[in-house]
Amino acid sequence: MARADSLAKLAFAYGVHLTRRRLTRPRSQLATLLETYAADGIRPLLPEERARHAQLIGCINCGLCALAAGRVGKVRLPDLASSYMRLYARLGEAASDVDGDSPDLEAAAAACPVGVPLGEVAAIVRRLTAG
Amino acid sequence: MSAPSAHDVCVVGGGVTGAGIARDLSLRGLSVLLLEKGDWGGGTTGSSSWMIHGGPRYLEFDWDTTRLSTQDAGYIVSIARNMVYRVVFIIPVLPHDRNNIERMETAMEVYDRFQPLKKAHPHTRLTAEEALQAEPGLTPELIGAVTMEEWGVDPHRLVFANVQDAISHGARALNHTRVVGLVRDGGKVIGVRYRGSDGAMSEARAKVVVNAAGPWVPEISRMAGADVRLRPAKGIHIVYPHRISNFSISAESIDGRDLLMVSHAGFTLLGTTDDDFYGDLDSVDVLEDEVDYLLQAFERVFPSIRSYRPVRTTTGVRPTLFKWRRYEDELSRRYEVIDHAHDGAEGFVTIAGGKLSMYRLMAEQTSDVVCRKLGHQAPCVTATRPLPGNEADVEPAAELGRRSGITALAAMKLQTRHGSNAGAVLKDSRSGRMICRCEPITEAELVHAARHEQVRTLADAFRRVGLAAGPCAGAACVLRAAGVIGGELDWSASQRFDAAREFVRGAWLGRAPILGRSGWAQEELAVGSLRGLGN
Repeated sequence: MARADSLAKLAFAYGVHLTRRRLTRPRSQLATLLETYAADGIRPLLPEERARHAQLIGCINCGLCALAAGRVGKVRLPDLASSYMRLYARLGEAASDVDGDSPDLEAAAAACPVGVPLGEVAAIVRRLTAG
Repeated sequence: MSAPSAHDVCVVGGGVTGAGIARDLSLRGLSVLLLEKGDWGGGTTGSSSWMIHGGPRYLEFDWDTTRLSTQDAGYIVSIARNMVYRVVFIIPVLPHDRNNIERMETAMEVYDRFQPLKKAHPHTRLTAEEALQAEPGLTPELIGAVTMEEWGVDPHRLVFANVQDAISHGARALNHTRVVGLVRDGGKVIGVRYRGSDGAMSEARAKVVVNAAGPWVPEISRMAGADVRLRPAKGIHIVYPHRISNFSISAESIDGRDLLMVSHAGFTLLGTTDDDFYGDLDSVDVLEDEVDYLLQAFERVFPSIRSYRPVRTTTGVRPTLFKWRRYEDELSRRYEVIDHAHDGAEGFVTIAGGKLSMYRLMAEQTSDVVCRKLGHQAPCVTATRPLPGNEADVEPAAELGRRSGITALAAMKLQTRHGSNAGAVLKDSRSGRMICRCEPITEAELVHAARHEQVRTLADAFRRVGLAAGPCAGAACVLRAAGVIGGELDWSASQRFDAAREFVRGAWLGRAPILGRSGWAQEELAVGSLRGLGN
């Protein structure tokens, strides 16, 4: 009985929905979506970041880049790739961690056994922490 | 055997339901003993999708379930405000999908009526181009999308917060303690016999014994001579150690089931399967076929999914109520509170079925039955009383980090686990030394977990604070963590080594089914780092 009742109510809602779609002009809701969740840090990746994303998060935390180059701000390079790159939504709260100098990221990337592009990693973390 | 302890109620099962019942009854002023054979939330609860959701799929079956589920999700979101976070789904619609975009939006419009109950926003509808702007990784073949909001939560922390509150209101809670029998007096159940973590047998007397053992409910019921039938259903998840996307994504499987890629705080869960399970509940394996089933479905909506490196799998068994004939997916997540007085087991109550999002309501209704049996009159307060660490807002992470000498990221992660008590966690030990850099976890937090959060193994630390949950899967931190926890628990050098070895072996079981694809570089590193532990 509950099933029949549920399906009947859904069918009625479907009719109402189709009628409304015919009578009203659709408006873009993307801006609404992004504004609604901006405070939660839920933002899209850029297309170029998306294209390289699997590589950007490939760190296995071996630590070799730290030996080659050091830190970005207060953050050891392996932590930047293995820890900060894990968490996009609230990175804005950790902005103070990455303030400061950058080391030689090309040298660090050259030491990486799985080819993580550390320069790009640093750029994306800084973009996301900046909000 | 020592003299039996005496309690008003003994709760068997330390998943979210059992912990919720223990908290509820303790807050009502009853003396409670809570027993868990493994670790808190180590069974079905921990292997869930980590969501407090309203259950839009029940709109097809029973709107009342959606309303109850959404309403209770709202209570949980309020009492655990520092532990929950928004999870926003993009539901892409592809040509030939079971539901076209108009039907999907209709469902979301109906669901929007319930969303305010759990403080969630209404849906949005996106064109194909807009959906690709929000998530460029979606397939260009999509014809549109709708969005839906749910809440994420770490179920291990949720369970422990309930345990912690129960203890602070007088309950006794023992993990790694297996119930081996019930004590009977004629037609009455008057207590339990259990084996503690040290192997010693004990007995506890209770006026009421509550069976909240999840899929193990039939096993405990048989001890009372009662028959409770479940239709256990196995579900697996693939775990990625990063957020693959800031948006969670829904996909349709080859057999038309709805699957989810859920973006949590620092990782992604991809699941889940739903298959009848007849095997050993204490040894549930993940099969490569199940992994392929999930990846195949997501490859259709998110083509690059196979280029991501999963770090492990999880598996659990849902304690679904028995029903003949229906497909697994159509089975209700309803629950039932059973008083076994009519089965010749007075003083024995079972709670069966249900789901994480309704745990508080399940606990309330079970506690109501217990209180009626005891003639105890006290109202339930769990819908409004905050869980520990959720009484106040958290301070800015950067401020806590600066004061404690740790990074803002480490402070933020500490707050996600301990809420407004995060500062107090660092008081026991001032050491800000990082033990697990991926998560990250400080030595101070691990010390606190061993001293105050009943961590007895490294796997317990994985559940309590996320030890080894990151991309390196423990390669860099397991031995350090064994040293810290061993120091607190007076482990010898060989005990520390054994603890690390046990953890590595357990982790391998969850990792093996997904290593066929990628991840061998990580595995080589782990093997090198932990050389000797596997022997």
